[in-house]
Amino acid sequence: MLKYTFGRILSGLVTIWFIATATFLAMHAVPGDPLMNEKATTPEIRENLARKYGLDKPIAEQYVIYLGNMVQGDFGISFTQQNRKVNDIIQDHFPVSAALGILAITFAALGGILWGALTALYRNQLPDIIIMFLVILGISVPSFVFAALGQLLLVNINQWFNISFLPVAGWGTFAHMIVPSLVLGLGTMALLTRLMRSSMLEIVNEDFIRTARAKGLSPSRIFFQHQLRNAILPVVTVLGPQIAAITTGGFVVELVFAIPGLGRYFVQAVQQLDYTVIMGTTVFYGAFLVFMVILVDIIYGFIDPRVRLK
Amino acid sequence: MGMHKLLEVSNLSVEFETYGGVVKAVRGVDFSVDAGEVLAIVGESGCGKSVTVQSIMGIIPMPPGKITGGSAKLKGSEILGLDAQAANQFRGKEIGMIFQDPMTSLNPTMTIGAQIAETLKVHRGLSTKQASEIASELLIRTRIPEAQKRLHQYPFEFSGGMLQRAMIAQSLACSPSLLIADEPTTALDVTIQAQILDLLKELQSRDGMAIILITHDLAVVARTAQNVCVMYAGQIVEQGSVDEIFYKSAHPYTLGLKLAMPSNVSQQNKKLEPIPGSPPDLFSPPSGCGYAARCPHAMRICHKENPPLFSDPREPHHAARCWLQAPGAPKTEGLHQLHLIASHGE
Repeated sequence: MLKYTFGRILSGLVTIWFIATATFLAMHAVPGDPLMNEKATTPEIRENLARKYGLDKPIAEQYVIYLGNMVQGDFGISFTQQNRKVNDIIQDHFPVSAALGILAITFAALGGILWGALTALYRNQLPDIIIMFLVILGISVPSFVFAALGQLLLVNINQWFNISFLPVAGWGTFAHMIVPSLVLGLGTMALLTRLMRSSMLEIVNEDFIRTARAKGLSPSRIFFQHQLRNAILPVVTVLGPQIAAITTGGFVVELVFAIPGLGRYFVQAVQQLDYTVIMGTTVFYGAFLVFMVILVDIIYGFIDPRVRLK
Repeated sequence: MGMHKLLEVSNLSVEFETYGGVVKAVRGVDFSVDAGEVLAIVGESGCGKSVTVQSIMGIIPMPPGKITGGSAKLKGSEILGLDAQAANQFRGKEIGMIFQDPMTSLNPTMTIGAQIAETLKVHRGLSTKQASEIASELLIRTRIPEAQKRLHQYPFEFSGGMLQRAMIAQSLACSPSLLIADEPTTALDVTIQAQILDLLKELQSRDGMAIILITHDLAVVARTAQNVCVMYAGQIVEQGSVDEIFYKSAHPYTLGLKLAMPSNVSQQNKKLEPIPGSPPDLFSPPSGCGYAARCPHAMRICHKENPPLFSDPREPHHAARCWLQAPGAPKTEGLHQLHLIASHGE
């Protein structure tokens, strides 16, 4: 297990290096640079700024310097936000995105497993048909639509009861997090529901379920002890990438609900070609994704003994 | 209790609803098992032997499966068509069951010990500690070496033969009076087969437990059983003691099976004779005898009317579903010749 974990971490580091390099090259391949905007009014100012930020050096040298700083955990200073360190941006805003993301994935996983198991239990009956209809909605409707609808609903509910039942936008308390994280997790929840349903239906026909019935176990015991745990495996597998997708993909929801998350800076940086912020956020998100996938692999090992001992 | 047979099945009929129509998988099966008896139910794939016992256990998937008639009485009380809660009073407790493929018949994410202990906890209300002590004894009884260590292992760490032993240990947990073994050796290689059969016989003779052994292998029958039911196309076509079935086969199908079986005495000029044709379509079973189309002795009546079970008054327990056994039926030269050929093969 230790060797396995170590191997996974090592390959994860290689992946992060690859992400950093690819982003660096792609970023520099985009026409223009961070000094294209109104700040660099004359060629002299532009030259001074370029020298200050090291943009006058050859790309290869910039790459080596950048990588060196990155290894030391320094992502540099933002081009567009005066003297603000990229590390500070991440430090200030990532916890917000992470909190939102974790809550969203919790909703998605619990909901997905619950609804999936329920649909399998009531296969081809009314609960199954209703839930599967909602699942198709959840998968096909983009999150900004749900975000706007969610807000509208909140406004109406708040007006109806004439109290602030739940805040419509903003950040700060747990109440602020509930609706945005539900909206953010909805797509994933729908996906996991479908996965869980098909997985459950497959397990029902397994020989060991027949054995469990022949042993005289109660239906509920068979359901929890024998079906659920085996059916969860495929769900856990996709959970890693889904966590990353939710935390990085949350910027639309963050925007609609005016949440000061990292997503906004990520998108803004790309628009403004803010080199250091692009690199910082991308590498950080990349590392986060890699870490989550490794974590899920390790968790998987605890659920499925066959993985643990290989 | 002495009045009742351990298990008495009468007129059991089971159907499956499929897209292609209704399959009449079991069509009026009667048999009984005494305490301590080993009964083999033998027949080819699709003859309904597994469906028969799985219906008795209430573990056929319903729907599409449906028990359309008959009864099964365990020690005199009806067990057919019970709900899960009522059925669990006998499943795993009075009747244990093992299956064809031990590799897939155990939960891959639970330790062997936990799976055996589960039966004990559910039926006998034992604590985890007590249950796992008994589980360890059961593994020793089924000859699994290093039982203590094996208890904490998962099914994928076991070989096929060891898994079947673990399955047997699990089914014996509550000392059932009947063990149903549904093709217990089919998925195992031949040397392991012999070991598993020996183990079953040993446990049966020591604990006085009855066994219903489902198999398509006549060699397994000869090795283990006292009484035999031969099934064909959802019906029992011949039943009797092992000797009666093997040496006085009364149904042409039983004879056909024997001729198709290799013997361990090498014989230069004896060829294995496959039974020509294939079993009838159970979507619409023939109105006559199910075997008539393949039978070398078929008469006109065989195609028209399904025969009842006939038996010789001198051997009341030996019966065959064949018009040739009807009183006054012509004694066919062919059947006698077949007998001769078959018995020379022994």
